[in-house]
This record gives sequence, C-alpha cells and structure tokens, in this order.
Amino acid sequence: MIRKDNNISYMKNILFVLVSSIILLACSDDFVNVDSFDEGSENFFNTEEDYQSALSAAYDLLQSTYLNVMLGEIASDNTLAGGESATDSPGIQEIDDMVHFNVNQQLRDIWGWMYGGIYRTNYILEFQDKIDFAGKDVILAEARFLRAYYYFELVKWFGDVPLTVDKRIDFGEQNTIDRAPRSEVYAQMEQDLLVAVATLPTIPADVGRATKGAAQALLGKVYLYQDKFAEAAPVLEEVINSGTYDLLTDYSTMFENDNENNIESVFEVQYTDQEGAGFGCLQCSEGNVAVGFNGIRNYSGPLFDSGFSFNIPTQEVYDAFEPNDIRRETAILDINLWAATNTGVSFVEGFEHTGFYNRKYIARQGDANIGDANLTNPNNYRSIRFADVLLMAAEALNRGGISDDRAQTYLNRVRNRATLLNVDATGEALTQAIYQERRVELVGEGHRFFDLVRTGRAAQEIDGFQTGKHELFPIPLIEIELTGNRWTQNPGY
Amino acid sequence: MKHVFTILFLVCFSSVLSSQSITISGTVKDQALNEPLPGVNVFLKNTSNGTSTDFDGNYTISDIQKGDVLVFSYISFITKEITVGEQTNIQVLLQEDVSALDEVIVIGYGTQSKKELTGAVSIVRAETIEALNPTRVEQALQGQVAGVNITSESGSPGSGSNIRIRGISTNGDNRPLILVDGNPIEDLSVLNPGDIESINVLKDATAGIYGVRAANGVILITTKTGRKNSELKFAYDAFGGFQETSRRIPVLNATEYALLTNEAFAAGGQANPFPDVSRLDSGTDWQEQVFQRAPIINQNLTITGGTEKSTFSFGSSLLTQDGIVGGNGANFTRYTTRFNFNSDLLENLKLTANVLYTGSSERNLNEGGIGSVLFNSLNNAPTFSVRDQNGAFTLAEGLGNEVINPLAQLGNNFNTTKVNRISGKFGLNYGFWENFTVESSIQFNYSEGSNRTLTPTSFFGSGKVFNNPGRPALFENKDIFNDYTFDNFLTYDKRFGEDHNLKALFGMSVLINKGQFSGTTQGFFGTDVNFADVDMADAEETINGRILAGLSGKFDERLLSYFTRVQYDYKGKYLFSGVLRRDGSTKFGPNNRFGYFPSASVGWIASDENFLADNKIINFLKFRGSYGIIGNDRIRPNGFRGVLDGEGTYVFNDNLNFGRAVGVLPNNAIAWEEQKTLDIGLDMRLFNNKVDITADYFQKRTDGLLLQPPVSGILGASAPGTQPPFINSGIVDNTGFEFAIGYSTDFSEDVSFGINYNVTFLNNEVQTVNDGVGFLQGGAFGVGQDFPSRMEAGKPIGYFFGLETNGLFQNQGEVAGHATQANVGPGDLRFVDQNGDGLIDSDDRIDIGNPIPDVTMGFNLSFAYKNFDFGAYTFASVGNDIIRNYERNQPLVNRSVYTIDRWTGEGTSTTTPRVTTGATSNTLFSDFFVEDGSFVRIQNAQIGYTLPDTVMDKLGADKLRVYVSANNIYTFTKYRGYDPSASSGDAIGGGIDQGFYPVPRTYLLGVNFKF
Repeated sequence: MIRKDNNISYMKNILFVLVSSIILLACSDDFVNVDSFDEGSENFFNTEEDYQSALSAAYDLLQSTYLNVMLGEIASDNTLAGGESATDSPGIQEIDDMVHFNVNQQLRDIWGWMYGGIYRTNYILEFQDKIDFAGKDVILAEARFLRAYYYFELVKWFGDVPLTVDKRIDFGEQNTIDRAPRSEVYAQMEQDLLVAVATLPTIPADVGRATKGAAQALLGKVYLYQDKFAEAAPVLEEVINSGTYDLLTDYSTMFENDNENNIESVFEVQYTDQEGAGFGCLQCSEGNVAVGFNGIRNYSGPLFDSGFSFNIPTQEVYDAFEPNDIRRETAILDINLWAATNTGVSFVEGFEHTGFYNRKYIARQGDANIGDANLTNPNNYRSIRFADVLLMAAEALNRGGISDDRAQTYLNRVRNRATLLNVDATGEALTQAIYQERRVELVGEGHRFFDLVRTGRAAQEIDGFQTGKHELFPIPLIEIELTGNRWTQNPGY
Repeated sequence: MKHVFTILFLVCFSSVLSSQSITISGTVKDQALNEPLPGVNVFLKNTSNGTSTDFDGNYTISDIQKGDVLVFSYISFITKEITVGEQTNIQVLLQEDVSALDEVIVIGYGTQSKKELTGAVSIVRAETIEALNPTRVEQALQGQVAGVNITSESGSPGSGSNIRIRGISTNGDNRPLILVDGNPIEDLSVLNPGDIESINVLKDATAGIYGVRAANGVILITTKTGRKNSELKFAYDAFGGFQETSRRIPVLNATEYALLTNEAFAAGGQANPFPDVSRLDSGTDWQEQVFQRAPIINQNLTITGGTEKSTFSFGSSLLTQDGIVGGNGANFTRYTTRFNFNSDLLENLKLTANVLYTGSSERNLNEGGIGSVLFNSLNNAPTFSVRDQNGAFTLAEGLGNEVINPLAQLGNNFNTTKVNRISGKFGLNYGFWENFTVESSIQFNYSEGSNRTLTPTSFFGSGKVFNNPGRPALFENKDIFNDYTFDNFLTYDKRFGEDHNLKALFGMSVLINKGQFSGTTQGFFGTDVNFADVDMADAEETINGRILAGLSGKFDERLLSYFTRVQYDYKGKYLFSGVLRRDGSTKFGPNNRFGYFPSASVGWIASDENFLADNKIINFLKFRGSYGIIGNDRIRPNGFRGVLDGEGTYVFNDNLNFGRAVGVLPNNAIAWEEQKTLDIGLDMRLFNNKVDITADYFQKRTDGLLLQPPVSGILGASAPGTQPPFINSGIVDNTGFEFAIGYSTDFSEDVSFGINYNVTFLNNEVQTVNDGVGFLQGGAFGVGQDFPSRMEAGKPIGYFFGLETNGLFQNQGEVAGHATQANVGPGDLRFVDQNGDGLIDSDDRIDIGNPIPDVTMGFNLSFAYKNFDFGAYTFASVGNDIIRNYERNQPLVNRSVYTIDRWTGEGTSTTTPRVTTGATSNTLFSDFFVEDGSFVRIQNAQIGYTLPDTVMDKLGADKLRVYVSANNIYTFTKYRGYDPSASSGDAIGGGIDQGFYPVPRTYLLGVNFKF
C-alpha cells in the first residue's frame, strides 16, 4: 500500500514537472521570424545570374509597347479605331476621333507600363556596384538602352515626365517628385545611349538583345525628334555604313513569322506563342496583343487567323501608295479582293469597316494558338528597320541642310527596293518626298502620328487635331491625383 | 378470546399487507434517443426503498403498494414521479434537462454554462443540423443564428459558401476563424454534417480569446464523442432523392427572338437577319436542354460506445451528388471517416484523440461568368438547333467571341478537382492540487488538392475564345497544405467561501502553417487521346510549371500567442470576464510584429435579485455587455517584403526566358486590421421557461483595413506581376441589432410545438479610405466598362456606382430638351444629370444600390403529434441588391422575356428601352441593371414518422424514423435572375450576377435508424 502511494505521487510529480515545463518552455519571439522561400528585393544581385534575370524582367515591358504601336497609327490619319462597335474600348475610339481626355484606360496603361520598364531598369542600375564580374558592363549597357527606350516613349506621348535615374522610386516618394522638362529627359536618354553605343556588341549574345547598331539607331531617332539634325546624321550614317544591316530584297517576307530578326531588322521586340494569356493582364502576355486586336473579325479561310478588327487602314492611306509600289500588298490587306481570289473566306465586318486590314501585323495561322489565341500571336514587332534608318538619315541630312545628295541616295535605296523610280528633288521638295516615303514604307508600324506631330503637319492631316493641344496626350488624371495633385496638366486638357 | 381476535386480526392484517405488496418492474429510457438509461435511481418516495436500473435500463422494485409514488431520477434528466396504479410493469421515459441553463457552450480553451456567459454566443446543436439535411455545414447555419448571413457562391455540387458574422468587416478576407475540435479549417466542404455535435458562434468580444484572428467572428465546432458506460450504439442515417433547378429565366423563343432581332437591326440601319419569320416555331429552349434532374444520395453511419473510463465514437459518410447542370459531369463525391476517443488514463489524467479523413472528387464545369454554361444557355440563339444534320453540335456563329453552344461545352468538359485531407488531435488533460488543470494538445491538418484540366482540340465557331485549334492539352497542378497547432494552458478554478467563484486561465499557442503550390504543368498530345485516362507521361511535349529560380511556391507562416483569461462571479449573479492576448505573426512587418488584444465583458443576472425572485413571468433575466480590441490577420504573408515573385518573362533565341521581378511592392509598416467591438445584450426566459428571448445591440469599427491602393504608375506597380504595396488605411463600421425569440411547449404528452424567429438589422458604412484617391473600385460589368462597385467613405462597402435612370425618352423633343447623352434617340434610357452640367458622362454616376442586406431573418417551426413530426425552416433577406450582368451585349444573342415590353413608339413603355444594334448608352451601367434581391426562401420542410416502440422492441432496435423532406422549396423574390442568395463573397464586387448556378430544389426520402 505504501509503495503504491509513493508510486502514484512520484508519477504525479513527474507529470507535473513535464507538463509545466511544456508550458514554460516558451518559444522565443524569433519563432515567427521566418525567411521567405522566395528572395526579397533588397537582398538580390548576389550572382551574375541575378543580374541577367533582372535584365530579362526589364526587357519584358518591351512587349507591352504593342499598345503604343497600335495607337500611334489610330491617332493618325492612317487608320481608324475599328473594333466591335462604337462603344468597344472607348479610350481607343476617343483617341481616333481626337476627343480623348484625361480619363483614358489606354493612356493610363502606356504611362504605367513604360514606368514599369523604367522601374526595372533602375532596379538593376541601383545595384550596379554590388558585385563585379566579366560582362557586367554589357548588362548595364543593355539596361541603359532599355531605360532610354522607355523614356523615349513617355516623352513622345506625354512630354514632360518625372525623371529618376539609377534608383527606384520608393512608396511615399511619389508625393514629392515633379515633372522634369522634356529637355532633361532627352539629355538623359542621349547619355544612356552613348554609353550603350560604346559598350554593346555588334552581334548580340542572344537574338533579341540590344546591340550597338540598335543603340545608334535609337540615338539617331532621339536626336531627330529634337530636330538635332547635325547630331542625328552622323550616328545614323554609322549604322548605314557598318555593313551589318541591309534592305531585304523580298519585301513580302519582311513581316512573316518565319523571317524574324532578318538582316533588315536593327531592333526587334520579341514575342512568342509558347505561353497562354488573358485579358486580366494584357501586359503579361508573351504574344503580340496588337496582332490579335488588328486581326480580321471572325475570319475563316486560308493563311490568316481571327482578331478584333481594330486599327483599320483608311482608303486614303491605301491610295497614298504609288501605282507599282510592291509594298502596298504587303502592308494592307484588301479583304474583299482576298475573299474573291481565295476559296472559303468568310469574315464579319467590324465597326468602321473599310475593307482593309493592317496586313503587316494581323494574325496568321500556324502558331500554337494557346488560349486566349487572340492574345498569343508570336509576330515580332520590327521596332527599328534599316529602311527606317535610311529614311531618318535622309531626313536629317536634308532638313539639316547637310547633304541633299546623300539624302537622295538613301531615299532612293528605299524606293528602288519597292521597285519605284528614283526621286531627284532637293530642298523642300525632297523633304516632302521623304515624308511621303516614310508614310508608305512605315504604315502600320506606329510611327505616323509622331512623324506628323514633330514635323508640324498634324493639324492639316488629322481630322479634329487641334494645334497647341493634341501634340501631347493628357497625363491620366488619376496619375496626377495619386502623386499629390501637384502637377499641371498638359495644355488644353 | 382476546388472543384469538388478536391472532385473527394479525392474520387478516398480514394477509391484507401481503396481498397489497407488489413488485414493480420496467425499463427506463431516454425520451429523445429512445435508448435505455443505466444507473437511474428508482425509489419509493420519502423512503429508503430504492434500486437502480441495470445496463439495459431495467429495474425491479418490491414492497410497493398501489397508490405509492415512485420517483425516477438521473443526473441531467428531469426527475419523474409516477403513481402506482394497476400496472406492475411501468415503462418510463426521462427527458434530458437540456433546456436548463446549465447547457454548456464552448468558448475557446474551455466551456461555460449558458447561464454564466457574458458574451454574445449562439449555438446550433446536432438535432437541428440533422433536421436540415445539409450537404455542407454552412447550410445548417443559415437562419439559425442571428447575425450570421450565408450566401452561396454557386449551387453546383461541392461549391463553397460565404459565412459573414455581423456584417462585412473588411474589404479583404471576411471569413471567420473556424476551429473543429481546436483544429483550424478553411474549407467546410470536407466536414460531414453528421459528425457534428455542436456549432458555437462567438460573435462579439468573447472571440477576443483568439486575438488577432477574431475580428470576423469565431466558429467553434465540436464533433461527436461517446458517452461513458453505454453499450455499443449504431446510428445509420441516409437520405436520397433528386434535385431540380429552382428557377429558369424566361427568354425569348425562336419566333420572338427573330422578330425582336429584326427590329433591332432595322433600328440600327442594318438588314434583317431573319427575313422569313413564319417558318420558325419556338426553336430550341437551351435551358430546357441544359437543366436536368440530378440524383443525390447521402449515407452516414455513427457508432458510439463507452466503458467506465473511456468513450469512443466512429463515423463514416458517403455523399454523391450530381449537378442540375451537367448531371454526372458536375458530380461531387465525398467520403469521410472520423474516430474520436476519450479516456481517463488515471484518475486525474484524461486523454483525447481524434482523427478525421476526407476524400472528395469534384467535376468542374465552367460556371459563374462570361462563358459559363448557364451564360451560354441564356444568350445562345434559339434559332439554332442543338445538333445539325450530321449530328455534330451546332456552332454559335455570329454571336460574338464568347457565346457557344452550351451542350457542346458540357460535352467537352473533363475537368476534375480532388482533395485528400486528414486532420487530427491528440491531447492530455491533467488535474492536480485540487484546483489546477493543465492541458496540452497538438492538432494537425494535412491536405492535398489537385486539379486536372483537359482542353481537347475543339472548334465552337469562328473567333470563339474557347476554340482550341492546337493539340489537345492537359493541365495539372497539385497543392499541399499542412499546419500544426500546439495549445498549452493552465486553468485554475476555485470557489472562495460561498459567494466568490474564480476561474483563471493562462496559456500559449503556436501555429505553423505551411504549404506548397506546385504550379501548373502543361502537356500536349497528338490528336488521338482518350480523355478518360490520359496521363501526363504520354504527352508529346510538357512544359513544367513556372519553376523559376527561387520561385518556390512554398510558404511558411507562424503564429505565436500568449493569452490569459479571468472569469469571476459573485454569488453567481454578478459576472465578469477579462481576456488579454498577445499575438505575433510572420505576416506582419518588423515594425509591428506583435500586438496586444484586450477584451472584457460583464453580466448581471437580474432574475437572481430579490425584486425578481418571485416573479411569475420572468424566470430568467440577464443583462450583459462586452467590449474588446481584436484583430484580423488575413493578409498575404510577406506583405512587408518585396518578394521577387512578379513576372519578368521575355523571349531570347525564340524561347521563353524567365527573369525575376518584384511582386507586391514592400511596406515595412504593415500591420493587422484592428477592430473595436462593443456589444450590449440581454437574455430572458419567460412563462416557465417556455419563451426564450435574446437581444443584442452591436457596434464594430474595423480600422487599418489593408488596402492595395491604386498607386502612381511611376512606382512601377503596373509591370507584369507587380502590384501596389499593402497599406493600413481604411475604416469601416458595422452597427446592428439582433433579436431572437423562441417558444416551445408540450400541449400534452402527444403534442409538442416549437417556434423560433430571429432577425438581424445591419448597417454597414465605410468611414475612410485613405489611399490618396478616396475610393477603391472592384467588380466587373459588361465588357470594357468602368468598375461598377466601390468602397468609399459614407457608403456601404461594395456599393454600386452608376448612372441613375429616369424613364425613357418618348420623342425627339424630350431628347433635345435634356442634357446631352451620347448616341441617344427616342426609346432610350434617360439618365439623370446629377451635376447639372448639361452632359451625361461618368461624372453623373451615383450610389444606385448595394449588395449587403439591411435585414436578415430566420423563422423555424417544429410540431410533433404522437409519432409524427413536422419541421419547416425559412430564411429571408431584405434590402440586398444585385447587378444583373448575365445578358451579353451583342446584336444576335438571345434576350430575356422582359424585352417584349420594349419601347416601340411614343407611350408604349416607360421602363424598357428600345432594341437596336446601333450604339446607344443603354448598355452603360445604370440602375436599369440593378435589381432588388430581397427574398424569402423556404429552406426546408420535413415530415417524419417514428415507428412505435412496440415495433422497435420486436426488431430489437431503438429508433426507426422515416421522413420526406424538401430543400429550397420555393423562393419568393422579385429578382429576375437565377438565385438572389448568390454572391461571389467579395467585399467589393460582390452581388454581381454573371449567371450564378442556382441552388437546386431537392426532394428527399430519408431514414434514421438507431440500434
């Protein structure tokens, strides 16, 4: 009996000690400090791979420039908005009719996506001194190229924009930052591109990366837009004389998916059909969204694929081509003619149907068509073509009064490729000829509106265009509100 | 002689005595369960002549006289007295003393008697749950508890419900904390309602014992355990029947459709698409084709038992339910098994163990949005037949890019979701030094969820977004979740003197929550593949889930808590309770990792006071009040870190190149949402405990709502996968009043009656949205239109923001005299120019409704006559609005029947605009699309018959009840859509109907068999 009692109370004590120590064995507060399995933004850039992957992320926003390309045509006299009906994407309809205002989804997207690209390039450059390795300077130069590319878009669309260099904007800082004058932003672009020109290779390590030629061409374009002809001409001529690029003989293959990154392509935005996409995040798509938007509505038949019938070429631009100009049938699809000369063609007329489609950038059959098939077309965007370089050089030489001779040579190279006869005008006539050539060579590629604006011809060519207002687009009202309501809007809005 | 008389007298007397002394025997049973009760005291009143019932409930008592009173008493049962008559066999039914205020409520780390509760806690017991025949636990709560509102996400088998306790407290995640035997659970579909013993809902600061997880309310569920000293008991419950749709939306038939479409095209200046209308009859009724009668069968077996020292309970269930859309193609099957074991290892050491396994498999249809099967049935043209001459499904040509043949869609559906889940608990409870108890338990959950989606090569018509012209593809992903909770707490319980009762609790709790998302693997196949058994290994080509370097898809969250609770009462009359909890969570930023959450409540049992002691009417009256500061931690983890889980994919060398980019921008100051909650209430019992009244007034203010505000684009938040940071900045108030009254009585031994009514009045108002813009937007309406829902100061969360209509323009003169409206003509909606600027645009949008109901009510009736029982449960919601968004705006889609009343000339209609294919503003979001979703729904009606005892005894069983029951019998509502009780559950963006799959009407036949 006595032994039993002892056992029981002994067990009781043991249990009590065990149990209370469980309670008192408190976890320290550090228990909840758990590292995330995914790396955080502040402790990144520890290896070369880190820089490379951050750079890929910076390239990503190039794919979202499909919107800039589309609207650069729609805003001009080249194309109409189109779509399903008059109320399909009001932002696009308004820009077409020059009745857009400071609430516009597409303008907000352009603003946000371009600054997304700048954020990612500045992220790399913020940590540019963290570690050293061979080839780092090329990576940083590519980042600079991209930063210039994105700032160029912002300046074209909105004019004076906030400028940040080599540092991301932290949450809270947006309330103190101001719009920087265009000239400052241009100066930064020039600086970035000069470094890129000096550092980037002629042949890229991977197809799709920025090259020396791309940086030179973009720099030339940046100079040209500021009417800095004397600076533009030499850098553009370096590209022409480098021998790296040439005009493609068979123009009809220029925009086909089996002829991407060809010899005429100085810089090309890469797309693929390998990943699906949805309307919830258009900027996430790895496909060229504009191609689906431009496509023929409810099409069935050979060669092409369906789309949403936006960006409809006008009769006027169709007629702007000279007879015998082989470029017309590559640039513009006459759907009724196509239907008449091919079997099994059917389609639906969308809003503002003119019978024409932007043939360079509409959907073709043959890609993987992963859902949503309209958003995953793999057509690369030829951002800077050698033909464009030639014409820019011609314009700089002509308008800068440097050499009408060389200007003619470059202009005629482009015309000859299109099986057109030489032009021998000079001075103002040559300028007009170059302008005309730019229109028909580059129709559908997103340049027309800005070409008109920078050369002062927009009011006469575009219906509804008001001088002193429509040269720039309004900064989205919500962007002004979200930075503390301190900025003045662009004039007229 | 005297001796002779005495002897005679004695002999007579003794023979009288012996002839009148009888033995009574019989059986004592539990009235509700009809089970024998062992250990019942049977004694002759006011004597020591007594015995007790044996293991089978039988008793025998001797030396009883006719006219004596036998007393039957048993703990927690109402004592019964029976006068001995002619019968020598007396069967006794004892009633459980459940209506007494010793009813026990689970309040977190312990229990409390209902009498002493100082907070607002409601309880639903197993009997009520069983009567409602729910397939999901949430269905058993609707209309039973004041302050709780349940909306269904969809009526499809296996789909979820949203539980909201006392309004919408946050724009984020409003889900309450749900613990099953102390184990956290998120998806209630894994729980078999037949396993539940009680559901306890903590609505006010009483939930504060759970600190930072309590702001949305806490639901504590206990599962069935056995009872000590009882023999093996079996209960088999089964029901089966069929479901049908509770509603079809009337749409036009082929002739009407053709006529109206012709009219619309003519008005838009286009040629008639249907030149010959006379040859059309009624065409195809797509809803008729799509809806079907679908079977449902549920079986549940429970085995309980107990020895002197331990109890156990085993339960197993199998549910299979087809869908009213899709039939077996929308099937949900669930198998559960549960085992509970409790044992007294030593006198003071108790062991609790339970394990619960669920396996479920669900076939998913495309539902609830543009492109869902029901959306297509409403919009597809009735002029198309189901199949063409070749037997293939017709293509929905010309109807835009989303509408397709819904039967083709159903035939093309092979998507499944499987869940395998096991959870368990192991705990020890040790009492020592008389007043102390220490309890330690570990709870765990492990679940695997996998999805399989097959996209065969398909063509539904030109340009359809569902077309897959490419190779057939298989998408698979698997997610694994596991979590562990360790609870350790020490309780001290002592009575000081006669008047002072003190109970103190001190404890700590640790929660580790981990998981792994595998990402989606895609496999592409050659053209011939049998979808029933296709395997990823046979794919021609596979693309692995987004296994980016460092993007692990894993998460690990911890919660570390210390808590203490003190409960004190003086004379059982003045009650006080105080709680303090310290919580620390992985989710919060380093500046705000830990928080303190205090709450307190008081109560006064007025009916124990002298002035009410003899009151004939008021049997019980208690006033109570509570106040606390609690929190909501349902935000994503690492909100303060800029994790590089954004998207940074480009293409080099014609191949995808996955880069790294920031996801959510970081904010170091991020913290929990804090809620201050006040409750004042009373509990009352009147008229001999026949009438039960509970009333509460509550006020909750939730501060620091975690918002991802729209931020300036220059912060880079618009890049793919990148998002604005979370900041604590909003405030929302929920104020309301709950009232519940119940009456139950036995008119006689054969007739009993019970009635219950509860009502909740709720007012929700946002106080501030400090995000720089003053409002948040959400939801979706139409295609490419502005957001229809907003969260803004001065309005309820998620209110609808759009244009207000004022009839139609009847003629051109009215058009000219009104503010400028784009694309307008006679017969179009006229919008109110709110700001008087002469132009109708987005500045004229105002508050046009909100999805939160103003009043919700539940009304329950039960009636029993002899062996028959009848019950009916009704639920009503008043003041909730719904946006009608299932009508695709496209020239050739079908229309609802209300468009027959369209405007066709001056004065022909003042409410329904003209039909036209031209551009009009009629399709802009306005109150034309907002409808009153108030409804009264008869949720359940049931008639049952319990076979009499005589039959039962012959079978050797305890109880056999058969019943017929119907769920969701009828819904009274003005709403035109399928189901006014449906909502996505989003705080901003809820209440928008894109074609909700309706909750089905179910007819069931069932049986409860106990043996």
